[in-house]
Amino acid sequence: MTRADARVLIVGIGGIGCPAAMALARAGVGTIGLCDDDEVQLTNLHRQILFSQEDVGRSKVDVAAKRLRVLDGGVHVRPHSRRLLPDSAMDLVRDYDLVLEGADNFATKFLAADACRLAGVPIVHASAVRWVGTVLAVGPRGRPCYRCLFENVPTDGAPGCALAGVLGPVPGIVAATQADLALSILDGNFVDGQLVTFDGCTDTMRRRTVPARADCDLCGTRPLIRHIEQQAYLTPPA
Amino acid sequence: METIVRIPTPLRTLTGGADEVTASGKTVGEVIEDLERKHPGIRERLLDDKGVRRFVNIYVGEEDVRFLEGLRTALKPGDQISIVPAIAGG
Repeated sequence: MTRADARVLIVGIGGIGCPAAMALARAGVGTIGLCDDDEVQLTNLHRQILFSQEDVGRSKVDVAAKRLRVLDGGVHVRPHSRRLLPDSAMDLVRDYDLVLEGADNFATKFLAADACRLAGVPIVHASAVRWVGTVLAVGPRGRPCYRCLFENVPTDGAPGCALAGVLGPVPGIVAATQADLALSILDGNFVDGQLVTFDGCTDTMRRRTVPARADCDLCGTRPLIRHIEQQAYLTPPA
Repeated sequence: METIVRIPTPLRTLTGGADEVTASGKTVGEVIEDLERKHPGIRERLLDDKGVRRFVNIYVGEEDVRFLEGLRTALKPGDQISIVPAIAGG
């Protein structure tokens, strides 16, 4: 598959999704899907670099689609102006060759991980809070997966960017790493289970290889997650 | 034996802002207990009654302790511990 033939879905058009989409469009990815139900807010603008002040109040997906088409006239943009939800996640990710997930809440992260594994679609997860970021690439084999690293939706002690804040450049660095790993998957030059962490306080980036867990509920030898269940993703959005 | 522990940003409020601290112990569990003595509150952020919290990963060098001996993982001179918590945001 060439990059021009590739269809990539981006879940979460925020501080990570915006620069990741720009990187993929400029790298020649043929089709980019954008999935988000939010509108642009003034507090987004320091990091969500597809948007500007006149966009406040508009649909993020609509504005991002317009800007990406200006950036690269050859890219086909598919807007999905809705949240990734359990009842439709599988159908949506099946339409794509690769998913980039940069959601601002754990429920969506785990839902994207589960849907992609069950649909056989590779996924690159990314997060940024305060001065730290993480990126985890799950290749075509589907393991090790996000649940090998973080087993289930946290119930406490893990703040999101809406509460904790995020330093503007950090999601940009995280998104560039996410896009780089995504292109590696599309180009067929990928090693499974790459976890990259970035510390913006010390400007330190580290890469580790995450092992697959035999008892992982999603990708282990006896997986418990065999389909998407609504109640498994009930934590409130950030 | 003293071991260097790399502290992620969300936990630095407990270490006075330090991104690296030292703690003593022969195993990961002992080091966490010494961390708790020096930086009260950090144990609860890392462990629950079943062991390492499900959304926290503790590494010795490049190895996740869940794939070693968990909290009983023995430490060697020169080992470094790092902590990677789950985060959601962008």
